[in-house]
Amino acid sequence: MTFLPSAHTAGLIPLSRRLLAAGAVSLALSGYATGPLPANQPLLESFRTDVRPVLEKYCFDCHAEGSSKGGVAFDELDDASKIADHEIWLRALKNVRMGTMPPSDEAQPTEDEQASILKWIKQQAFALDEQQPDPGRVVVRRLNRVEYRNTIRDLLGVEFDTEAEFPADDSGHGFDNLGEVLTVSPTLVEKLLDASQKIIASAVPAQPREVAERSILGREFNNPTAAANPSPEPVPAAVAANPAFAEFYEAMIKAAKDAAFLSFYEVGSVQHILNAPMTGTYQLSWELQTAEQRMRGEGAPPDLNRCRVRFTIDGVTQLEREFERSGDRNFQLPIEVALTKGEHVLAMTVQPIASDAPQTRQLRMRLNAVKLRGPLEKEGWVVPARHREFFGNGVPQDADERRRYTVQLISQFARRAFRRPADDYTINRLVDAAERIGTQRGNSFERGISHAMVAILASPRFLFREEVTEPLQPGKKYPFVDEHSLASRLSYFLWSSMPDEELFRLADEGRLRQNFSAQFERMLRDPRSSRFVADFTGQWLQARDVANVVIDPLSVILRDRPNPELENARVVFRSLIEDDPIHYTPEEKIAFDHADKLLKEEERRPKPRLTGRLRRAMRQETEMMFEHIIEEDRSVLELIDTNYAFLNEELARHYGIEGVKGSEMRKVELPPDSPRGGVLTSGAVLTVTSNPTRTSPVKRGVFILDNILGMPPAPPPPNIPGLEDVASKDELSRMTMREQINLHAKASLCRSCHLRMDPLGLSLENFNALGVWRESEQNLPVDPSGELVTGEKFQTITDLKRILVTDRRRDFYYCLSEKLLIYALGRGPEYTDTTLLDELADRLEASGGRMSVLLTGLVQSAAFQQSRESSPSFSATADSRLTVADRHSTSESNVVIP
Amino acid sequence: MKKHASAQIPDPSRRQFLRGVGAAIALPTFISLLPRGLMGAELAKAQLATTPTGAPLRTAFLTFPNGAIPAEWWPDGGLTDFTLKSTLQPLAAMRSQLQVLGGLDQVNAKPNGDGGGDHARGQGVFLTGVRLNKSAVDVRAGVSIDQVIARQIASQTRFSSLEMSCSTRNSAICDSGYACAYQYNVSWKSATTPMPPESNPRVIFERLFGAGPHGERAANAQVRLLDRRSLLDFVLDDTRRMHRRLGRHDQEKLDQYLSGMRDVEQRIQQSEKFGPNVDPDRATPAGIPANHAEYVDLMLDMLLLAFQTDSTRVATMMLAHDGNNRSFGEIGISEGHHDLSHHKHDPERVRKVALIERWYVERFAGFLRRMEETTDVDGNSLLHNSRIIFGSGNADGNIHTHVNLPIILAGAGGGLLTPGRYVKHDSKPLSNLFLTLAGQAGVTGLERFGDSTGRLANV
Repeated sequence: MTFLPSAHTAGLIPLSRRLLAAGAVSLALSGYATGPLPANQPLLESFRTDVRPVLEKYCFDCHAEGSSKGGVAFDELDDASKIADHEIWLRALKNVRMGTMPPSDEAQPTEDEQASILKWIKQQAFALDEQQPDPGRVVVRRLNRVEYRNTIRDLLGVEFDTEAEFPADDSGHGFDNLGEVLTVSPTLVEKLLDASQKIIASAVPAQPREVAERSILGREFNNPTAAANPSPEPVPAAVAANPAFAEFYEAMIKAAKDAAFLSFYEVGSVQHILNAPMTGTYQLSWELQTAEQRMRGEGAPPDLNRCRVRFTIDGVTQLEREFERSGDRNFQLPIEVALTKGEHVLAMTVQPIASDAPQTRQLRMRLNAVKLRGPLEKEGWVVPARHREFFGNGVPQDADERRRYTVQLISQFARRAFRRPADDYTINRLVDAAERIGTQRGNSFERGISHAMVAILASPRFLFREEVTEPLQPGKKYPFVDEHSLASRLSYFLWSSMPDEELFRLADEGRLRQNFSAQFERMLRDPRSSRFVADFTGQWLQARDVANVVIDPLSVILRDRPNPELENARVVFRSLIEDDPIHYTPEEKIAFDHADKLLKEEERRPKPRLTGRLRRAMRQETEMMFEHIIEEDRSVLELIDTNYAFLNEELARHYGIEGVKGSEMRKVELPPDSPRGGVLTSGAVLTVTSNPTRTSPVKRGVFILDNILGMPPAPPPPNIPGLEDVASKDELSRMTMREQINLHAKASLCRSCHLRMDPLGLSLENFNALGVWRESEQNLPVDPSGELVTGEKFQTITDLKRILVTDRRRDFYYCLSEKLLIYALGRGPEYTDTTLLDELADRLEASGGRMSVLLTGLVQSAAFQQSRESSPSFSATADSRLTVADRHSTSESNVVIP
Repeated sequence: MKKHASAQIPDPSRRQFLRGVGAAIALPTFISLLPRGLMGAELAKAQLATTPTGAPLRTAFLTFPNGAIPAEWWPDGGLTDFTLKSTLQPLAAMRSQLQVLGGLDQVNAKPNGDGGGDHARGQGVFLTGVRLNKSAVDVRAGVSIDQVIARQIASQTRFSSLEMSCSTRNSAICDSGYACAYQYNVSWKSATTPMPPESNPRVIFERLFGAGPHGERAANAQVRLLDRRSLLDFVLDDTRRMHRRLGRHDQEKLDQYLSGMRDVEQRIQQSEKFGPNVDPDRATPAGIPANHAEYVDLMLDMLLLAFQTDSTRVATMMLAHDGNNRSFGEIGISEGHHDLSHHKHDPERVRKVALIERWYVERFAGFLRRMEETTDVDGNSLLHNSRIIFGSGNADGNIHTHVNLPIILAGAGGGLLTPGRYVKHDSKPLSNLFLTLAGQAGVTGLERFGDSTGRLANV
């Protein structure tokens, strides 16, 4: 990644260095100078004199005197405690800032009036200290599944599948890395203990020497009868459409490339020259599978052919077995043999067993691998593969040196696992345990160290990111987090993982803050930052979900171009398929066969489908877009409106774009009239915001409000009236999506919110639920035009994108800044973040939206660099006797135990 | 962990898996169920969660999503002469073993000023009976009834409870401003600690019986326990020391860790008390089957195995989380369940929703049948000695109601219950039923639960 400070950022970094050096990273506030309001004026009084008159003029129609739209009634704010309700003012702030309130068809406050309200909210209601902003409170963060997996990989080089092994993480505000929300259940604790054992056992050798082990893959056997290895059939359409099957199928084909195949029906053999390093005893395990493929044509009976397989070494038969068709079953056939030093010929021969049975399948013996262990004799043992990595050149014999060596190994590992040096007490405990276990009969030094490493991974200091603050500086309200905490904040933000050695070194030396900008840029350039890109876009744009979203291509296509004959065939097929054909009447039989034929033909007809590969390409597209903006330090507005896209052949074809060949994803210049470019018209966003059979303009509208404009709509009210109150069922069934959605405008309860989301969602109606361009829906031309609640009119999605990056770009700046803030800090946004978000939006505005300005502004902010509270270790109560015992049992509100 | 070609041959077929259920498991004998050498107070404890014959009394709470079409769910007729309508038809053969419970409410799932989010509320309130704190981050519900029972009877089994789910979770977007925890958990250990369910049958099986092939599992499970025990001292000490260094809000998280460690400790003690693990003579499930019906059935088999081996007596299972939008291609329904459930009285949509509900009832019926076919230690069927709640936190999914919830109570509770009836309870809190169930399981001193107004009579 290249991360070149632009003209704008070049000015920023030295400034921030100065600020950093002075120990004050809080961002100087540029937009809102301190106003004339005396700071000590009581809140109530300032509200009455400065705010209420403006509210009365513009807002009381809907939000006072018995009317409380959206649950807001300003005239009820009659005492200081009600006025101090941050939530109501945060909503007011956003609505006034965006111009969504008052509604565009009502009288609008002057700019001065708007500014005075915003100022009052920030200075009086929020009482923000712009010079020393409140950094907010981050609850101690547990590593989530993604972070745990990455950390284990970086710490030990082990791939641990947390998705399969740990329960899903909880999330809030759209992200699953929030300290407050990440809980620890008893089951998780148990799993973490077991995971620690498993991970260390698979990484760290438990013995200084061990029996050598290796695998000889099937493809390492030469095969004189290569014809027995036909290429696999193309992926059937039905398989390709189901992501679960498609993944499985692709993995299968990949694995097949490592195997050797021999036909059941002819004599054949494969062989491999094995070089035995010394004379001794060896164990060989033949890993076989009975493979079968269906022949073309339906309803073939099972294939009863059999074969005899012989395994020889240097021509001497070691094992012989007969096989029959057994449906991809696995077999392990172990043998133990004495081999002399030197070359030996391993061979496997297939002999058909004469049979009259017709060949109705393609039956083959598949040799996946031969697992070789040996020599078993001690003198032939080898140093385990990763022994040197963990134990260096060997274990000292001298007792004192050995102890020092143990201390060194454990301290090094604890420092990296805990992300800060461990205290002596802890190290001593671990060293004692390592020595106790390592010297037990039958155990090794290595096993002792392993035990200590397991304990370290099971410690809450590994699982939780404990943060420590620097002592509070005189005159300051909020302490800085210490250098090790800062290193972890950076590394978990950009790499979803632990700090690397360079960060550790700088933090140990207390020089990370001095080198902060350089380190930040280095980390962003590091390939590991792709984890940030994937994790952030995967959640912000919900691109993670594209892997599993279920869309039925036929339903989607029938919606675009209704076909009564096919629809009827579907109804007939579904109504009859559950009955036994024996019970069909002759008419039903004819109807069923006809429907079956029509549907089969339709099934075979090429049509857009979400194959596993296409889903991956869609997800990658969003990641590459985001990465491209970071790499080239481009404007974040290009995330919405660009003239390029990231495509491969399959995705380009899905989008109707010519001239892209091959499976590799690359940047493609779009034709001038293309509606693509940017996240809104990307396949990932279009599909995850659809229902299984159709688009959902409501979901799409909510998506844009929530993730682009930062204006989440109020949740739907309870007891939503049915649309049938305004249109008959028959009418509904023939309506286009726009016609149905427009019914919202008729019901007054729906109107105010749906005016916000529906036009946004309907602007994407030219893209069906698969994300494919369409001109018509229900055989009627699509009309994507509309008007934003703030008054801007558009004809097409291209117009809307332009509006979003011009008139509404500030909203997007706020929105993206807030999403990144949540992700980077692992906490929900608070009213105290107003200062920072204003500052970030201003800087983006001034720099033309540069990504570097946003990212550096964020990591240099008080929120990122400081902590609301000092670590208790710096306060007086150093050692309070801990009495957490069963605190839970008394604090449950719904259980009354007398 | 890197996946190596396993020496074990996993058997993907659930049917083959099932073949052994009830037949090949070495069941603990009736006598040996009771820990050796029980004295006074412990003997009293041994009465916990037992049926009148002394067999284990099991309790499971199964939830299905998005409510039920009332017209197809509620039977016609009276207490004993009722006829099942289409949704419950798959249960026809089991009707003498279950009660259809009408008139039970979860009023705390109503909006009451909190606006939208009925799926989060329906799920989160279902077993807790409390109002949920509407927040994306500040999660506060209440302890759930399964955990109330589990806590009291923990001494009886290796595992105090089991939490399962057949839902896979997508990105972190959840219902209308509620944290995802409410919608994806039904079991809560405390107001702030949900019990996230396990959705992989392999992982559940290995947790219950040990990893590896049959014959080696008990030994592997023993090694696992010893491994865990070897860590307890250090980790507990380390957790306490870290706890001291943290601020109040952070300490809550460490409390959860500490409490989890104590559970592990307790489980080790339980295990020593009960001796070697039961080792079912069958292959470990390979993972999540691609076919959804097979998947759900396999998960229910895990529940059955856990009960049959008396590994636990309390379990929860979310057949899917409320609001789930799965499409059911296997029964010809390509629309999403949640999407369809807002059917606006369109007959075609209503029909499809009812078919999906019936699909869930079929899974449930199959489970009950297998429970009935499995003989328990006292000679009765496993189902006879169980209490299985099957229900949804929404009543009418179309308009999100939470009164007159669709609830079935299957099993006879070892004779404590009177199945074979359709009982209309006339607007009582569901929590009242929970109070009754807890009392039967031997939970003492529980006067009130959630919004309960007293024990539900006539069950």
